[in-house]
Amino acid sequence: MEGGAPRNRNPSSHSVSTSFSQSSRSNATHQSKVSTFAQIERRGRASSSSTSYSNINTQHYADADSDSNFVPLVGTCPYMCPEGERIQRENLRDLAVFERLNGNPRKSSPGLAVKKFSGGGCHILVSCNPLPSLMNFFFLSTKGKPDGDLQNTFPIRTISSKCASDVRPLPVLEDTLKYLLSFLESKEKPFEVVHDFVFDRTRSIRQDLTMQNIVNTKAIYMYEGMVKFHVVSHHKLRHSMSDPNIASMHHLNMEQLTKTLASLFSLYEANRNSNYVHENEAEFHSLNVLLHLGSYSKPMGEPLSLWFSRLSPLVLKSKEMRFARRILRSFRLGNYKDFFCTAAAQASYLQYCIMEPYINEVRALALSCINFGGYKLHPYPLFELSKQLMIKESDLETFCKSCGLETCTDESGNKLLPTKQDTFSHPKGGFQIYSFLGFQEYESQF
Amino acid sequence: MAYMSMGEAHRRITEYLNRFSDAISSQDASSFKSLFAISSKCRLADKELASNGKSPEKLKGAGSLLMKVFGSLAGKGSKRVGALYVTCQLFKIYFKLGTVHLCRSVIRSIETARIFDFEEFPKRDKVTYMYHTGRLEVFNENFPAADQKLSYALKHCNPQSEANIRLILKHLIPVKLSIGILPKDRLLEKYNLLEYSHIVQALRRGDLRLLRCALQDHEDRFLRSGVYLVLEKLELQVYQRLVKKIHIIQKQRDPSKAHQVKLEVIVKALKWLEIDMDVDEVECIMAILIYKNLVKGYFAHKSKVVVLSKQDHFPKLNGKPVNS
Repeated sequence: MEGGAPRNRNPSSHSVSTSFSQSSRSNATHQSKVSTFAQIERRGRASSSSTSYSNINTQHYADADSDSNFVPLVGTCPYMCPEGERIQRENLRDLAVFERLNGNPRKSSPGLAVKKFSGGGCHILVSCNPLPSLMNFFFLSTKGKPDGDLQNTFPIRTISSKCASDVRPLPVLEDTLKYLLSFLESKEKPFEVVHDFVFDRTRSIRQDLTMQNIVNTKAIYMYEGMVKFHVVSHHKLRHSMSDPNIASMHHLNMEQLTKTLASLFSLYEANRNSNYVHENEAEFHSLNVLLHLGSYSKPMGEPLSLWFSRLSPLVLKSKEMRFARRILRSFRLGNYKDFFCTAAAQASYLQYCIMEPYINEVRALALSCINFGGYKLHPYPLFELSKQLMIKESDLETFCKSCGLETCTDESGNKLLPTKQDTFSHPKGGFQIYSFLGFQEYESQF
Repeated sequence: MAYMSMGEAHRRITEYLNRFSDAISSQDASSFKSLFAISSKCRLADKELASNGKSPEKLKGAGSLLMKVFGSLAGKGSKRVGALYVTCQLFKIYFKLGTVHLCRSVIRSIETARIFDFEEFPKRDKVTYMYHTGRLEVFNENFPAADQKLSYALKHCNPQSEANIRLILKHLIPVKLSIGILPKDRLLEKYNLLEYSHIVQALRRGDLRLLRCALQDHEDRFLRSGVYLVLEKLELQVYQRLVKKIHIIQKQRDPSKAHQVKLEVIVKALKWLEIDMDVDEVECIMAILIYKNLVKGYFAHKSKVVVLSKQDHFPKLNGKPVNS
């Protein structure tokens, strides 16, 4: 199956990897980051005195809301973290490891501190009468609370200069995101620690975007970067799910993944003009299809059929969506042969990250089909099965055992799976992670 | 309304509705007519807003307003017969918004609350309600429930309104196909549902190519009405039919060996249909058919053959969905 159509397997040169790869990060670049941000500071200050940002805010909704006298907030904070918050957190020793200046738990710097996500008792004052229309627009298709948890902050009435100075304008947000995502390349700290930090700080970025009603294409790129972060985390965190803390992290990550993805879809919709499909739109839509592989899971609270009925045919018929729909078809039919061939031949890295948990589910289905329907006097050779299921033969042996199936060896030393065993069961604690021979390049990333 | 700004129109209607829902508690059944007119206009205005690409927030607002109206109708007295009408309007909005999970609470109060006797509602509302809830069941692939609801809608639908019958059939046919019941060609012709005729033919003949072509030709239509995924799953039944045909032919030639179907023969049959599948994939398909009880028998990997049981080799679905 190798050597087919040319495709890009290297995540770092992947089409959607803009934010991940551009800022390659190492110890050495740490200092230079600080200086980069000094420049941003200047830029930020300059623009805060002019009104250059106001035009990006409601462009799209200006006409839709002719009846509202809502003036969107324009942030003026020139730093990744408002100065007040930074000083406060320094005093409270509330600094993430990545924010400490020379490791000092009570000292940070404008180049290190990043604004925290503030849910619930937040000190930000927002003027919202009526609510920014986009708030509602964004969260229509998501269950429960909006992404930024801003609902909680709405009872607060007055707008003040203090408020605007706590919110970062778009260019600062863009640089902040770039800075945050660059941590993912770092190997200095365990992934969970990096994830914890980036998870919270990107949430705060979304909060600032929402508060200023920023819905332009730049916001799209930012959301794509953030979705990508959650997708990759979804995959990486699974490797250490035995730790209950990480398992709950994985769960929270999934929650933000679906919410951020839903917001991204709304952004595509808001920027839609006639026959134009945003460059990465098809791939991000395909991720939602793959999220539905689990038996009847509805991550966004809507059946897939209904979602399909609202999508543009251009997206539905894109290469990426065709792939995801084919995977969905083989999964639903139980055609494990086609599932593995298609996955190995066409999946992008992001698609693989979402599909990976279902791969063992399909393997288990294959085992139960063969065990149920295979001729009792012809045990199935594991080597042949391992090729079909794209797994190492030794891994397949373990896999059979975890499903309650015995294996045996014939006189020439070949491993076999006897059929008609009535002990098949899905492993209670879920599957461990096995090799997927179509994706060694992806796996070697970790 | 067209001369007014949509936002303005919306605000006026909203105001009406708001007052209405306040007043409704003191009103009697005679005011329903105006309520009906207003709530349907509200939805229409929103629809226009939405079609212009404007914020569907208005629709959402309309939804919560109708919910309020529903709440005030759910009381006692003659008013409550209007509740099902409002429910149907709510469904339409939720479907449009992609927030169908919100339907659940309304359905629950209609189907389980003692204050409502379903048979008491006006017939047309009952039909609309069954159509919408039936569609929801189709999307969730709960075929027996979908069959029951859509069949109810079909049975009680005004026989004069062909458009509505057609709408119901559009969803009922895929459900019936999924449980192994094929419609007559006459039905498809009468209601202009010819997009299904190739699919039905494919199921009769075991023609996989025809099924795939029909799905491709009418892809947009099937995706828009939300039945594409259901139809795609019919593939398993088509394979069953194909193997059955091969078996019948073998029986005519040599009854003593007919119960053994070589995988190579199935590969060849598929090749005639211009479908490329290797022996491994055909074995995989046969394993699934056996696992899902569409074929009775076993497959032998070494000798690449399917051995059918002595009797009932191809169990009929008989109104039940394929095992999942």
